[in-house]
Amino acid sequence: MAVVTVDQLSKRYEGSNELAVKDVVFTVDDGEFMVLLGPSGCGKSSVLRMIAGLEPITAGTVSIDGRVMNPVPAKDRDIAMVFQSYALYPHMDVYTNLAFGLRRRGVAREEIDRRVRGVAEKLGLTPFLGRKPHALSGGQRQRVALGRAIVRDPKVFLFDEPLSNLDAALRVTTRNELIKQQHELGTTTIYVTHDQVEAMTMGDRICIMNRGEVIQIGRPLEVYRRPADTFVARFLGNPPMNLLSGRLEGAGERPRLRFAEVAFELSGWSPAVLRSHLGREVTVGVRPEDLWEGPPPGLQSGMVRLPVHVITVEPLGAETLLLLLIGGGDEELIARVGRDTALKNGDLASIALDPSAVHLFDPATSKAITRAD
Amino acid sequence: MTLWIAHLRRTPLLLFIVLYTIATGGPFVWVASMSVRTTPEIFANPYALPVHLHWNKFMDAWTTSNYGTYFWNSTIVVVTAVAAVTVIGAMAAHCLARYRFRGRRTVRFLILSGLVVPPQLLILSLFQILLDYRLYNSLTGLIIVYVATQLAMTVYILEGFFAQIPQDLFDAARMDGYSDFEIFWRITLPIGLAAIFTTVTLNFIILWNEFLYAVVLLTDDTKRTLPLGIMHFMGGHQLDVGMIATGLMIAILPVILLYAFFSETMIKGMTAGAVR
Amino acid sequence: MMAPSKSTEIPAGWIRASLARARQACQNPVLVFLAPALLIYTGFIVYPVLRTFYNSVHVLRPHNILEFVGFRNFAELFRKDPVFWTSVRNTAIFSVVGTIADVAGGLLLALCLFAKVPLARAWRVVWFTPVLMSYVVVGIIWVWIYDYDWGVVNLVLHWLGLGALEHSWLGDPSTALWAVMVTHLWKWLGFNMIICLAALYALPGEVLGAAELDNCGWIAKLVYVIVPMLRPTLVNLLVLSFIGKMMIFDLVWIMTGGGPLWSTETVSTYVYKRAFDWNTFDLGYPSAIAVVWSIIILLFVVLMTRLLSQREKLEF
Repeated sequence: MAVVTVDQLSKRYEGSNELAVKDVVFTVDDGEFMVLLGPSGCGKSSVLRMIAGLEPITAGTVSIDGRVMNPVPAKDRDIAMVFQSYALYPHMDVYTNLAFGLRRRGVAREEIDRRVRGVAEKLGLTPFLGRKPHALSGGQRQRVALGRAIVRDPKVFLFDEPLSNLDAALRVTTRNELIKQQHELGTTTIYVTHDQVEAMTMGDRICIMNRGEVIQIGRPLEVYRRPADTFVARFLGNPPMNLLSGRLEGAGERPRLRFAEVAFELSGWSPAVLRSHLGREVTVGVRPEDLWEGPPPGLQSGMVRLPVHVITVEPLGAETLLLLLIGGGDEELIARVGRDTALKNGDLASIALDPSAVHLFDPATSKAITRAD
Repeated sequence: MTLWIAHLRRTPLLLFIVLYTIATGGPFVWVASMSVRTTPEIFANPYALPVHLHWNKFMDAWTTSNYGTYFWNSTIVVVTAVAAVTVIGAMAAHCLARYRFRGRRTVRFLILSGLVVPPQLLILSLFQILLDYRLYNSLTGLIIVYVATQLAMTVYILEGFFAQIPQDLFDAARMDGYSDFEIFWRITLPIGLAAIFTTVTLNFIILWNEFLYAVVLLTDDTKRTLPLGIMHFMGGHQLDVGMIATGLMIAILPVILLYAFFSETMIKGMTAGAVR
Repeated sequence: MMAPSKSTEIPAGWIRASLARARQACQNPVLVFLAPALLIYTGFIVYPVLRTFYNSVHVLRPHNILEFVGFRNFAELFRKDPVFWTSVRNTAIFSVVGTIADVAGGLLLALCLFAKVPLARAWRVVWFTPVLMSYVVVGIIWVWIYDYDWGVVNLVLHWLGLGALEHSWLGDPSTALWAVMVTHLWKWLGFNMIICLAALYALPGEVLGAAELDNCGWIAKLVYVIVPMLRPTLVNLLVLSFIGKMMIFDLVWIMTGGGPLWSTETVSTYVYKRAFDWNTFDLGYPSAIAVVWSIIILLFVVLMTRLLSQREKLEF
């Protein structure tokens, strides 16, 4: 059992007036794979290092299974970590790298040998046991780093952007390898990354951070479909969500959203919520995949057509990206349409939008306007 | 890495640091204080702070005890030698770094082997040689010897640095029609200025403090460099602690002054030869 | 008027050819750049070294007469010179113990500053100061520090109630060498510290973090991770320090002159004395000593480098 709880965790670095990490709160359940996602400098690595015990905590607590870990030194927390640079001991061979932590803990020699060879077998490292890290490729070193963590059989795994030093192809295969290992072992895992693809594919839940604060926590699809603010909305999804300015207007039962020179009723929104923002500016969010050249069957009715001016057509093979100008011609929109499109640069066309797929954000706070109270 | 602290109980560490700082800096403060006290005062209470600051001791040392002459000799010798070895060494380093020619490896090996030549192998013969050429007991002779002994280290440091300057700069300059010497003057020297600073610092400190060659190759009191002068004075006036201290301060002050303003440069300069 | 004889006549063609060669040489950049350095170097380094070797197989008689004696100087050195062997013993002790203390001390001082103490930069500057000072300054100050009556060492011992340990540090043959060694350490620890500190900062922080997670306290980290990764730097420092101590002259000369009773006599001071302070003026014998000692130093350096450095270069 390993439940990791982070409560009001904060960090101020020496010589800085600002908090690098502000009152972070989250809980990782036993066996869960939690991803800390965010841009560089958002504090996610600092949080991870505080959980590991490698960085002193300014305020707040880190607890494992209910026991507060603040005063406990790193080596006694029963945690293993895989570092971004792998942090292998360059002067020791692979076997010793794997065995070192166990030796330092006084585990019996036969037990160490059994465990090391077992893990090496699992990760395909057996032929390299006698080699030193500088004689290994990047992918092999990564596996040794992973093996070193696995062999300790800890309560919690911590990963600090372990895939960022690998090339793209290797990243995909290693990613799947990591997911497989974690499922087999069932160890609670906290994984830090700035790559949203890794977060979406690997995490049971994602915790998104920006500027030291937690913005949103949730299952990947949940966070994708219901972003808590414009930052999350644009961070997840490639190409990112389009954000445009609009206005809610009209009296009466059904307020209409006006933007880009069209106005239409929104569906799926509680009327009370809409009325409370009546007459005000709103930020409208539309994902590129929710814009259609010709709407797919089953969604014909209720589609809104936006007049657009096509600036660029980017055929990517499997799909096409369109860069469009809407409204009077000063707001840009990116749409993701099928691979067979007849549109060309400079065309004037109309793009279909499903009104139920629209996101609304409060321009003052950047927070999402929830659909129901 | 920062949890390192938690493993050490901090107080003993800080105590040690303070003690070691006193051990390292204390003696200099002590000499400074003694240099403005008279010898009777010192013998009465060796470690007290000066009550009356006898600045006139410096004047006395400078004139009566000849420290002025010693200081001047040291300055001439060191400034000339450092200037010469920098120019000559830079030229040689530039040549070794930029040009490919037959025998380059031999020449390089030859000059760099000077790094490991022990002074004992040199002084006796240098003594004979300088005698033969009537350069014995002359500042000129000492200057030439200093240039020779510091050449290897200077070339070693500068060549390493010059070799890292991208070849493209030189190719471009050549295409622009610069002559070899102009390339050296306009490209290597300005870009290599940091390394040159380093060697100047290193050579200055080493030669200002140099003792062995000076004591063998100079005998006239009028020619003595500062270290020699202090030893000579010490030999004749062993009990005049106050005066000796003043003399020591005259030797220490230029270095401390430079160090106060250029501590980083000097630290880097002095350790340059050892960093691999 | 007599016509110039053939032997003294210089053909005009030869002059022209030499001038042309000289002019061409001046245009050769390599020669121009290297000439001053090579000239000085050959004249004042290479030639003296060769001449020392030459001297070592001669004896210098009065009126500058050199008498070739073959290996007699060396034979006498090995068989009939107890002072030489004492000086070798002293220098060896000084070099071995001093070098280890030098490098280990430098590393420990660097670790102190590496541990994120406040004002680390300031301490560093102060600790480096002795390195910049002349041996004359250092030597005289420490002669005063070791003084029996009013020197700091004895005063502190007295104050600590350890008055029984008071010694005439430089006057007692059993303590003199160690006293000089402490002074030498005092001067050079700062140098090794700076280099070790730079090397420590170059270590990858994540590896040290991994060591912490692997249950390493600071001693274990030092032994299993830091020292092995610092090995090239440490070997360098050991060799440099060793060479410097094997050739030590200045400090010994200033503090004790080789006494008392040869207890601090080193090979270099002995060479100097044989050359300039002996009643028979002879440069041949001391040259032989210098030759032998230089060869020994070279052998040790090669040995040390072979034994201590690692074959593969670890990248990190």
